[in-house]
Amino acid sequence: MTREQQTTTAALQALERLGAQQASAQAHTSRKTEFNLENGQFTLLRTTLDHSLALQAFVDQRRGTVSGNSFEPEAIAAAARDCFAAARDGQSDPAWELAREGGGSFDTGAFTLDRELLFNRTQEMLDAIKAEYPKVVLESVSAQHVAREGSYLNSHGVAYDSRAGSYGVFLMFSGHEGGKSSSFNHSSFECADLSRPFLDQGSLRQNLADAQKQIHTQPTKGKFEGTVVFTPDCLGSMLYELVSNYAADSVLLDGTSLWKDALGTQVADPRLTLSFKPLDPRMVSAERYTQEGFLSRDYDLIERGVLKQFMLSAYAANKTGHSRAPNTSHAIIVAPGQTALKDILSTIDKGLLVSRYSGGASGAGGEFSGVAKNSFLIENGQLGPAVSETMISGNLAGMLNSIRGISRETMEDGSSSLPWLAVDGITISGK
Amino acid sequence: MIPDIISSLHGSFKPGAHSELRAQRSLARRVVLLGGNLVGNTRQDSQGVSARVYSNGVYGFASAADLSQDAARKALDTASQNALFLDDKVRPGKGALPQIAHGSLPRQADFNDVEQKRYLDFTQALDSYISGKYPGLASRTVVATADSMEKQLLTSDGYAAHTLAPRSYVYVILNAVTDKGMPVEVFRSFGGRGSFDTVFTDPAALYGEVDRLYEHLMNKREGTFAKAGVATCILSGELSGILAHEAVGHTVEADLVLGGSVAGPMLGQMVASPLVSMTDFAHTAFDQTAPLPVYVDDEGVLAEDAELIRNGKLVGFMLNRELGRHYNMRPQGNARAFAFNDEPLIRMRNTAIHPGPNKLQDMIAGTEEGYYLMYTNNGQADTTGEFMFGVTLGYEIKNGKLGQAIFDTTISGVAFDMLKTVDMVSDQVTWASSGFCGKKQPMPVGVGGPELRCQVMIGGR
Repeated sequence: MTREQQTTTAALQALERLGAQQASAQAHTSRKTEFNLENGQFTLLRTTLDHSLALQAFVDQRRGTVSGNSFEPEAIAAAARDCFAAARDGQSDPAWELAREGGGSFDTGAFTLDRELLFNRTQEMLDAIKAEYPKVVLESVSAQHVAREGSYLNSHGVAYDSRAGSYGVFLMFSGHEGGKSSSFNHSSFECADLSRPFLDQGSLRQNLADAQKQIHTQPTKGKFEGTVVFTPDCLGSMLYELVSNYAADSVLLDGTSLWKDALGTQVADPRLTLSFKPLDPRMVSAERYTQEGFLSRDYDLIERGVLKQFMLSAYAANKTGHSRAPNTSHAIIVAPGQTALKDILSTIDKGLLVSRYSGGASGAGGEFSGVAKNSFLIENGQLGPAVSETMISGNLAGMLNSIRGISRETMEDGSSSLPWLAVDGITISGK
Repeated sequence: MIPDIISSLHGSFKPGAHSELRAQRSLARRVVLLGGNLVGNTRQDSQGVSARVYSNGVYGFASAADLSQDAARKALDTASQNALFLDDKVRPGKGALPQIAHGSLPRQADFNDVEQKRYLDFTQALDSYISGKYPGLASRTVVATADSMEKQLLTSDGYAAHTLAPRSYVYVILNAVTDKGMPVEVFRSFGGRGSFDTVFTDPAALYGEVDRLYEHLMNKREGTFAKAGVATCILSGELSGILAHEAVGHTVEADLVLGGSVAGPMLGQMVASPLVSMTDFAHTAFDQTAPLPVYVDDEGVLAEDAELIRNGKLVGFMLNRELGRHYNMRPQGNARAFAFNDEPLIRMRNTAIHPGPNKLQDMIAGTEEGYYLMYTNNGQADTTGEFMFGVTLGYEIKNGKLGQAIFDTTISGVAFDMLKTVDMVSDQVTWASSGFCGKKQPMPVGVGGPELRCQVMIGGR
């Protein structure tokens, strides 16, 4: 038995002894090794050894949850007591559910760290950035390896074991020249091994090159309706905002989702297919089982424009009468289109290429307005100068029905695969 | 309280190497009632020990999820090895850090970590009030939350301290639908420093606040879209506090200055209207205890106020020990870590714009056309000083009077340009402290300010 298995077994027994009619326990150990850099210089080597223990108990369908980070017997016993008390004092709800079937053992990614090679790959990336992107200042960089071991056990006999390892790199940077600077931008990716240079992965090269072009900007003049092309990095954040507004637990439970009655109907342009696929081989150490104990499977949220599935937990599914989402990962994939990005750009009279969106959380209606950061003007089919002090506004749901084009090129960063997406009818305003 | 496992370990520090040992326990409690359904009922505890060791310009750090002397010694040993590995690889050759004052602070008092039932009972009472009085709401959410951060710190050459910082909040979110079927929402947080039982003694004390929030929701239900473009706006204290934190504060954190933030070359220059002064307060602000007081930071530096803008002139940065040496300035206690396994970063504490001479009602009366922007749900800024804040509640101003409410919108601008347009500053400071600042790690921070009248770009139609 692993230490994680011993911990979940002890915790489950403790909860059942206290009187929990149903219960689950999850235990994880993670070892992280991380190089940190500031201003392009190594500043810190950090190694952490962490545990996590998450318990869930049901008493007469009343639910309590606790989490802690100790595997010591007295800590497990205390967590079980707290969890049982929280459930006992809670509110009965028949919608709560634990998985009754499932189970498995998973081993993904690179569990063993190669610290020397991680340092060398990071140094190689710094040297290459200095040579190839001399106007870029690296404000902060982290390069890390995380190894995780886990165990899940519930009172219906569902058991999972997992072992996963991955490398991850995050950069925050800006372009500088003659006292002027671009807005900061960032790039990150996850990878299962160190076989490829870091600079060749994710959006690094694109965003570093763009940072140099974004040092000198022009404010956008006036207000107009135009076409916005979202880069894969920016598209990911817009789509997470969108699905949170229309397809997640909270908005379906409280009935504020504009899509609450739209299942099976056309909510987007027929060219759009949006999926969550943790089992896709391009996803690095993605989810294999859910917090509720269900085996993770890939699914389409929107298939050819039709809403096929909400992102619901088992609880919210039982509450609303819809089906549970087959996974709870963020492994988002948008199917590529047929058209090259340059051909999409060539059709746009006036608009923006937006690499980063800085906006407030959109309201329940999906209205959004925010600043187009790290962005370029598009005029007469050509990319123009970088812009500053430019806002974009529109409606998230409306956007999906105003798609001008989806690029055939995609960007993969280990946790998503996304194309460039062009949307008409966005309000663009400047000074 | 966490056991004292580190105060006797001074002898474990290697001579000449600046070293820190920190034992920490963090708690979070949360209850969420969504439409009367208990969808969140959880308690989180995490604890452990960490060590950081400095060697010639680089640090080694190590942590373990274990509150024991053995774990502390092992973390110190691993941190030393990590520092040596990095020093050997990059050879920065910066030598030892400058000396700082040393001493110790007395242990802080424990707090009452109330049982989960207290949060459940409070939220259920408040939810019952809302559902009984306002049955026409599209939805309602009531959240009770509390967290605390307890740290025991031992450093080789700075201050030793035991600190404990509990805070407690209740959030109320109300939703309605406009005649055209568009959902609208208002949101408010209540609470502050202290354990839940001392901050919230009676749900009825919040009923008046809920009633006011409902009035705003009904106004917003009949609202209008703001007109996109540059407008005269009066920012509430909540928004000016976010402005102070996001758009100015981050640009004067020394690590971001080093990374090329806009503020670096502007030290000593006018960056705002002479009406604007701004300070990152350590523990006492405007003669009162600050919302989230910090007495010593996680590098063992005794905390003092960091003056940032004085009458419009940029006068200071926020520092850690390493960058204090780089900029030849005195560190003032801004190096803070969130969890036991996090390293200290330069963070704000209680950042506020100082009050001015004007009354809010005079500011509104003196505005022919514009907006009074009251509540925000988030803010972002970058190192150029360009900022964006989400506005979740605001009203038009027409001919010196408040008009229609506006739907959710966003304001944006460049901080050091926008602050030069400030022409009125109210005499009341409003603080907010329920949020977390995000900068690699989360961190509880206080933000505050008076109402400001300024020119700012507003999103809309």
